[in-house]
Amino acid sequence: MTDAKKLQGDKLSEADAIERAKQGDAEAFQLLYNLHKRRVYSLCLRMTANTAEAEDLTQEAFLQLFRKIATFRGESAFSTWLHRMAVNVVLMQLRKKSLPVVPLDETLESEEDAPKKELGAQDPVLAGSIDRLRLQRAVDALPPGYRRIFVLHDVEGYEHNEIAAMVGCSIGNSKSQLHKARMKLRESLKTSRAEKATKPW
Amino acid sequence: MNCTEFQEILPEVFEAGRTAEQAAHLKSCPRCSGLLADLDLIAREARQLQELAEPSPRVWNSIEIELRREGVIHELPGGPVVAPRARSWNLGAWLAPVAALVLVAFAIGVYQRGWLSPQSAPQLTATAPAQISNPQPAKNQPANQPANNEDQQLLAAVASRSPAMRAQYASNLQNVNAYIRDAEESAQADPNDEEAQQIVMDAYEQRAAVYEMALDRSLP
Repeated sequence: MTDAKKLQGDKLSEADAIERAKQGDAEAFQLLYNLHKRRVYSLCLRMTANTAEAEDLTQEAFLQLFRKIATFRGESAFSTWLHRMAVNVVLMQLRKKSLPVVPLDETLESEEDAPKKELGAQDPVLAGSIDRLRLQRAVDALPPGYRRIFVLHDVEGYEHNEIAAMVGCSIGNSKSQLHKARMKLRESLKTSRAEKATKPW
Repeated sequence: MNCTEFQEILPEVFEAGRTAEQAAHLKSCPRCSGLLADLDLIAREARQLQELAEPSPRVWNSIEIELRREGVIHELPGGPVVAPRARSWNLGAWLAPVAALVLVAFAIGVYQRGWLSPQSAPQLTATAPAQISNPQPAKNQPANQPANNEDQQLLAAVASRSPAMRAQYASNLQNVNAYIRDAEESAQADPNDEEAQQIVMDAYEQRAAVYEMALDRSLP
């Protein structure tokens, strides 16, 4: 049984854990980590498509959170606070990696990266089902700009105005990138499905 | 409305809903309705990716060690401790092995002077010969052997104060010893590989951290 489950079994709520963590209680920190680690790590992994980087960023996000936990006053949900911090850590890291900084509005994906137009002969649809692992791989394979917006909007549930503020782009650009990301994912998923269908096993 | 016009405003259809004209086009065009259904499906399925993955245990271990160093954590849980992330090649890294040796010597001294209920140690070492007393085959066994004896003594000291923690620390030490062996093998294979040397130093630093935590728990 994990420590988190033990603590939960002892009726220690997240609110109690936060208060105990403010006093420097190690078990409370671990409980909070265990409660949120999957969500934060998954966010980092989706954004970076790299497990080592994702673990580093997860570590950094939680460190920042725990250093500042005494300032948490409960105006927003703890998970909201944490995930926003994680997003900021990831975005900061992505900005550092892609220096010099260029506003997202000015970035252009290459012709190769851009999704194909859907005009012309009818093509097969995804038929109402998507293999989750394939979707994950397809997201990982997206160009970084598309992936960033797609993860923030479709996976994490942020609105375009929030994304625009976080990423530093216009709302219209956020919408456009999201649409291109979804189109690109559709292409990838159809291709992988077609490849699977042609394999004898 | 034709397909080109519809697909140009498709992002807005998602956000703001569809007009009567757009709805009419969708009804008559299987290609555009199929496209819209697919994109909608992708958006819905994306939520399932939210908590798909789990970080390795070393993430928490590194967080715990760092918070403890910074004094944010006042008391440590018995979480597993394994290898940390690589650190920069600096004075701190060089000091780490020295600190490890000092801590090991201190642990032995504490144990031998009987400050930590040594009567419980022989029983523990006899009934639970630590996995680390027989580590995986190592090319540098002579170098590891004294460390294993030190580990045994440290575990006995831990067990005398917190019997429940002994297995956890045995596992931690086993992991860190294996990490050290791997790191040393890599460094020996290419003595000019600075990164490999750095990893060796990190491994010893990790070992020092395990000892530090064990002593922190064991001392009265």
